[in-house]
Amino acid sequence: MALDYQPKIVGFLCNWCSYAGADMAGTSRLTYPPNIRIIRVPCSGRVDATLVTKCFQQGADAVLVAGCHPGECHYSEGNYHARRRFTVLRELLSFLGIEKDRLRLEWVSAAEGKKFSQLVSEFSAEIAHLGPRKDNGKAAGGSL
Amino acid sequence: MNQAIRDKAKELLASGAVSCVIGYDVGSDGINARPFFAYTEEEADGLAFDQTCTHNLVKYLIDRAGKATAIVVKPCDARALTVLINEKQVKREEVFIIGAVCHGIIESTWGQKGSDLQGRCQTCTQHTPLVYDLLVGEPMAEPTPKAPLDHRAATLANMSVAERAAFWAEQFQRCLRCNACRQVCPGCYCAECFVDQLDPEWVGIRIDLPEKWLWNTIRAFHLAGRCVGCDECQRVCPVNIPLGLLNHKLEEEVATLFDFRPGVKADVPAPLETFKKDEKLGIGE
Ligand code: SF4
Ligand code: SF4
Ligand code: SF4
Ligand code: FES
Repeated sequence: MALDYQPKIVGFLCNWCSYAGADMAGTSRLTYPPNIRIIRVPCSGRVDATLVTKCFQQGADAVLVAGCHPGECHYSEGNYHARRRFTVLRELLSFLGIEKDRLRLEWVSAAEGKKFSQLVSEFSAEIAHLGPRKDNGKAAGGSL
Repeated sequence: MNQAIRDKAKELLASGAVSCVIGYDVGSDGINARPFFAYTEEEADGLAFDQTCTHNLVKYLIDRAGKATAIVVKPCDARALTVLINEKQVKREEVFIIGAVCHGIIESTWGQKGSDLQGRCQTCTQHTPLVYDLLVGEPMAEPTPKAPLDHRAATLANMSVAERAAFWAEQFQRCLRCNACRQVCPGCYCAECFVDQLDPEWVGIRIDLPEKWLWNTIRAFHLAGRCVGCDECQRVCPVNIPLGLLNHKLEEEVATLFDFRPGVKADVPAPLETFKKDEKLGIGE
């Protein structure tokens, strides 16, 4: 595969933790690959399956949903709902021909700037390794 | 069986216990059943139940909210009714359930009665409804569970992602976006379906694979943990998209992950409406 393949990753980050974590990574001058496009959401529980599926439809190579650690959700239980939702959605997407690894749910707190930068680096390398999507949704899809 | 249904229907209508009995009568081809609404005792004489009663009628109850109604259900319809009751779309106390013991529905076409049982009925292990106020027909012994008939389920599981993607692209490509699968589904009662929303426009109007792919993916996902496997969506699809494969895949996942079968128990939330704090699901750990 061409070395210059750059995956496009959409990141839905919870405002109360992971978004601040990403900010922390920035202010601490930690680097992470520019492959991720960040969207700030009020809670990981806000991330509807349609939002994620729409990203894949529009040609995203991978989607990251990051929220507060279990027990720390600002709205008490959004992240628990997200956990069930994406467990099931991942299985469905895989059955439809999108590798499970392309959808990740992670917990990143506001203090975990380092974790965030590592996570994005790792994820982006993993997706680059997987290569472009192999399904037609991508072939006929839009561009990000 | 027909007499028992008619007698009960008349009694309920006469006493004013219900103002309508939803069931089946013989359609205009003289063979296939069709949905039938009896509002009077005379009309109740038209009610009938046989092996062509394929329709799941429970969705009609949503429009009857506030009005006491009796309904004829097969065992799979009864599960769908439990889903609607659990989701607070139908009030249990407003419905009189006439549960029919079902020997399976026969594949038939207009004007012609077939001989084979429908796929869902060949693997069915519940011939007596789980919930009813009156049971009609003699309960029968249940067969041992069988693997799904559609061998493509197993084949797909062993394919590579690229092959699966190609398979589904070929299937979804045929989708006409007619929404029949949604219209017929007891679980699809949203006042405004995501596919009809214009702002945001989740699914564009362009007749192209990505739009069809998104529609079919989310439709299936919205039924995860709620689909009772009645296969009506697949039956009505004019271009034979194997929607059952998607539904059954999700049904299996939900059974494995959450030990849940939709429509079996009253007063339990669907698995994606609830959670356990300490569960390990393999993500977000
Ligand atoms: S089989 Fe189809 S129509 Fe029946 S409940 Fe499931 S999704 Fe709805
Ligand atoms: S597809 Fe989803 S949004 Fe549309 S009616 Fe069914 S459950 Fe509701
Ligand atoms: S019934 Fe078939 S053709 Fe119609 S919208 Fe559903 S999947 Fe598409
Ligand atoms: S507020 Fe952060 S996941 Fe709910």
